[in-house]
Amino acid sequence: MHWFETQLAALNRLAADYTSAQKQAGGDIVNVSESARTKRAAFIDAVQALVDKVVKIKGIAACAAYHDGLILAQSAEVPHIDAFGAVIQETIRAAQHGQVSLSLGAIEQIVIVGADHKLAMLSVGPVILCIYSPKQVNLASVLSRQA
Amino acid sequence: MSSNVQFLDPRKSQNNEIDAILRNLMSIQGVSAAAIVDSDGFVTHIHRDFEINTDAIGASVQVVFGAAAKAAQHVGHHSTNMVICENSEGYILSTPIEAGFMLALVTQREALLGRVRFELKETIPVLKRLFSSYLAN
Repeated sequence: MHWFETQLAALNRLAADYTSAQKQAGGDIVNVSESARTKRAAFIDAVQALVDKVVKIKGIAACAAYHDGLILAQSAEVPHIDAFGAVIQETIRAAQHGQVSLSLGAIEQIVIVGADHKLAMLSVGPVILCIYSPKQVNLASVLSRQA
Repeated sequence: MSSNVQFLDPRKSQNNEIDAILRNLMSIQGVSAAAIVDSDGFVTHIHRDFEINTDAIGASVQVVFGAAAKAAQHVGHHSTNMVICENSEGYILSTPIEAGFMLALVTQREALLGRVRFELKETIPVLKRLFSSYLAN
């Protein structure tokens, strides 16, 4: 498993921890609330940390995370950041239509390749991680190790 | 004979948790105030990092939310879950909790809207349970 896959696996574990903290049974709402809050903070902090690391990799132009098409975490300077959100929202919606009819299972990745740039969208728990790079960059290769 | 046993006051611990939730919301980048407003527009809990007229913010949040909820009903959108006011210097987000109580957040322009909205959406179910329990005690 290469560097980025390890990071995604760790994020997915944190997202699963958060989901299970939310579903905790029992009448002690104060403890459930505190536990869910702590796990959510751990997940979001990890998302921000990954965004900060990915954007430092040579070849990556921008990285951001979105929830329902709105920015949740971003690298320092991302041009057209709202446009990314709109594209992500539309693309995920279209993919989800196909997900059922083609029996794809839950959507994990979508990549849009343009003549100049490409945009990879990765589903991690409740958020979509978005990586933007020039078209010729081999994402699998550059993301295999940390900057 | 004195006892070392201390009985937990559920209302106090719920109140502490409500305060902890507001503190947590304040720790998000760009959030400058987090308040709970009752159905009459009075602020019952608040954390803020600037001087704010609590009476004015409480009353305005209730008025704005009420107007937005009315507009939603007029277009057949049924219940209103969140109202976001985008202003030149930031956002005001308000969300209903329980029994007319509302959670209101004031942010600066640099706040990441998705981050703040995500935290609000995830926090509200817990706050609803806390308030149900709090009001029942």
